[in-house]
Amino acid sequence: MTITDPTLATIWFGIICFEVALYVLLDGADLGIGMLTLFPQKEEGRSLMMKTVGPIWDANETWLVIAAGTLFGAFPLAYAIILNALYIPVMIILFGLILRAIAFEFHEYSQHKHLWSAVFGWGSLLAVVGQGCAAGGLLSGILVENGQFAGDPFDWITPITIFIAVGIVFSYVVVGYAYLIKKTDYQLHKESFMRVLQAGAATFVAFLAATIFLPEKHYVFFERWTVEPTRSMLFAIAALIAVVGMLLALRTYHRVHPQGLHALSLAVFVLGFLGLVIGVYPYLAPPSLTIFDAAASPTTLRFMLWGIGPLIPIICAYNWYIYRVFKRDLSGEHSEGYRA
Amino acid sequence: MLSRVQFGDTAAFHILWPLMSIGFAFYMLAMESAWLYTKKEHYYRQLRFWTKIFVLTFAMGTASGIPLQFEFGTNWARFSAASGDFFGNILGFESTVAFALEAAFLAVLVFGWRRVPRAAHLFANAMVFVGATLSAFWIMAANSWMQIPTGIVMEGGKVVVTDYAAAILNPGTIVSFLHMWVACVETTLFMMTGICAWVLLRNTAAFDVRQFFLDAFKYSLALLFVLAPFQIVLGDISGQIIAKYQPAKLAAAELHWDTNTEGGAPWQIVAWPKEGGGGNSLSLAIPNGLSLLVARTPDGTVAGLNDFAPEDRPSVANDIFVFYSFRVMVAIGFWLFFLMALGAWYWRRGRLVVEGIAQRRTFLKLWIFSIPLGFIATEAGWMVREIGRQPWVIYHLMRTSEGVSPNLNAAVVATTTVIFTTLYIVFGVLFIYFTYRIIVKGPDLTSPVP
Repeated sequence: MTITDPTLATIWFGIICFEVALYVLLDGADLGIGMLTLFPQKEEGRSLMMKTVGPIWDANETWLVIAAGTLFGAFPLAYAIILNALYIPVMIILFGLILRAIAFEFHEYSQHKHLWSAVFGWGSLLAVVGQGCAAGGLLSGILVENGQFAGDPFDWITPITIFIAVGIVFSYVVVGYAYLIKKTDYQLHKESFMRVLQAGAATFVAFLAATIFLPEKHYVFFERWTVEPTRSMLFAIAALIAVVGMLLALRTYHRVHPQGLHALSLAVFVLGFLGLVIGVYPYLAPPSLTIFDAAASPTTLRFMLWGIGPLIPIICAYNWYIYRVFKRDLSGEHSEGYRA
Repeated sequence: MLSRVQFGDTAAFHILWPLMSIGFAFYMLAMESAWLYTKKEHYYRQLRFWTKIFVLTFAMGTASGIPLQFEFGTNWARFSAASGDFFGNILGFESTVAFALEAAFLAVLVFGWRRVPRAAHLFANAMVFVGATLSAFWIMAANSWMQIPTGIVMEGGKVVVTDYAAAILNPGTIVSFLHMWVACVETTLFMMTGICAWVLLRNTAAFDVRQFFLDAFKYSLALLFVLAPFQIVLGDISGQIIAKYQPAKLAAAELHWDTNTEGGAPWQIVAWPKEGGGGNSLSLAIPNGLSLLVARTPDGTVAGLNDFAPEDRPSVANDIFVFYSFRVMVAIGFWLFFLMALGAWYWRRGRLVVEGIAQRRTFLKLWIFSIPLGFIATEAGWMVREIGRQPWVIYHLMRTSEGVSPNLNAAVVATTTVIFTTLYIVFGVLFIYFTYRIIVKGPDLTSPVP
């Protein structure tokens, strides 16, 4: 057996969590907007939505690739077992992302725009449902024997998975709306605020149900809620989520500071994700596989830390630069630079 | 086996797109540099027009590449768990160092006109090109290591890296990377020249537009003048490396059964093995050819397939496949070299002018006919590389059958394979259709230059 260095493994766990969180925060809005195109509306509305995500979705999707790449490098055993077990949800995500990417480019060149915006919307929905199923399947538990996945390809279908999938769909809708309200003249439309409230409420109910059912399923989660120090951390986070969530709901209802709704919805996301991380650490696939079981050798972890570690701030920096380049409001602008 | 079909299928489709992304990115960078250096507008028009097709290839590349990364986990769980210490690490580098760079700066390249200064735009273009190239480097490093696993030891069925430099820069990495990179650029440039030839043969576009495509033809030809001969040299060096490190693969690619003890080994032009292997039932060969190619002497020794235990070398069916794939690749490589030389000669004789080029029908048709050849050669080369490696996933250390995921439901894998294939065929056809539309519409030669 190789000796794993616990600190290194924890650092890599933190880095991967950071990457996943960034992916969810950034691409969540793109995917949410993608799902919104499915609502009945004029084709110009859909084109505007697609134009809003146009310059950024590709770079945002990169974070998924980076997270997968670093997970493979730092925790190869987890990469193998988790993806093996979640074969079907992963394929659903991939099909969704393929459809979204292709629809996006073909929409630009095609004369049948409504066809491709429909593919874009359904692709986004498929990818989000896949992500929900994968997250749900992961938290529902993966059967591991002798360092291999020992379950059935359909094991991920559980009540918890359904709650989590529903929650993720609606939470992305909230972020998508908030992003549109921030970037375009969506803030003029009364019904968009109502829809944010409805989707927010659905998110809350779904995730609450999942949170209640999880300790039932695995004792690990029960312990997290009852044993210090995680108990007070989790309760503190729950309280913060309640406060920020209420603030979000009130501001949405009264339509104050509509530009800030996006930031608030992201804050709820970050808090929820933090709660999740505290809940599962040090497990990668609760309740059977910890980061220490799955880590690559310390030499590799160190090599990667020096090789990839410094790159992450650099990637963040140039992504931030690109966000700034495209910061200007897109709604009124003609699409110079794309067609010409 | 199904997992092999799925991976082979998705990988063979994927490779078409980054190939073009690398090729177009190279051409676009050349054009933008030329534009900023000479201030001549027609370089800018070239850049803008070919960017449109580049964007399509990039989207296809991303869409088909992400599944590959995940398939290592979903379909090859045991391989991933065993080799993750090195292999996962390298894929991590690919996504962070290369892909992230390319995807982010693509936004500036495509949407950034007027939003950023010219120099920043050139920088973004360069970053897209560097990202694409680095991506190819890391993938080839990972793949070369599967062919020649250096710098590691196996401990309890798991790979443990002892020397990173030796593992990344293993004896095959640099040459394989260069061979593949040149294949990408060469194939793309031959596709472009073929497209240009088609527009010129059709002869329906306005004079300016035909001038535009003739310019593109000449710029590509100039780049090919360097690359096409270089590729043949790289191919020869690759052969030397295979001969040294994977003699069973070389023997399979040549259907060379018995090690020659006296006299030289012949180079088979056409061959077919006996049923069950062991020797050839049909053979048309150049005497001493193989010895000359491999050992550089007329009677140098070349190890034959019979020297290797049947369970450690490719099956007879695979031998045939590898043998003919290899011949297809080599034949295309030389044909493209010849075509480039012909083009250069026409250019020198002053025949590449818009007036009258449409009358050189045979010449143009040769180029149009050559559009798919680079792609076929690249696929054939990969077949030699990957099927010739069988039955090993990590050469002489882990068998392909030992790498596959446990508890996979065959019906599930078959279903997803069918979905992937269907999607890919539909998208491939649509790509050709949209590219056709872009070409027929032609370049925009009037919009203001930023």
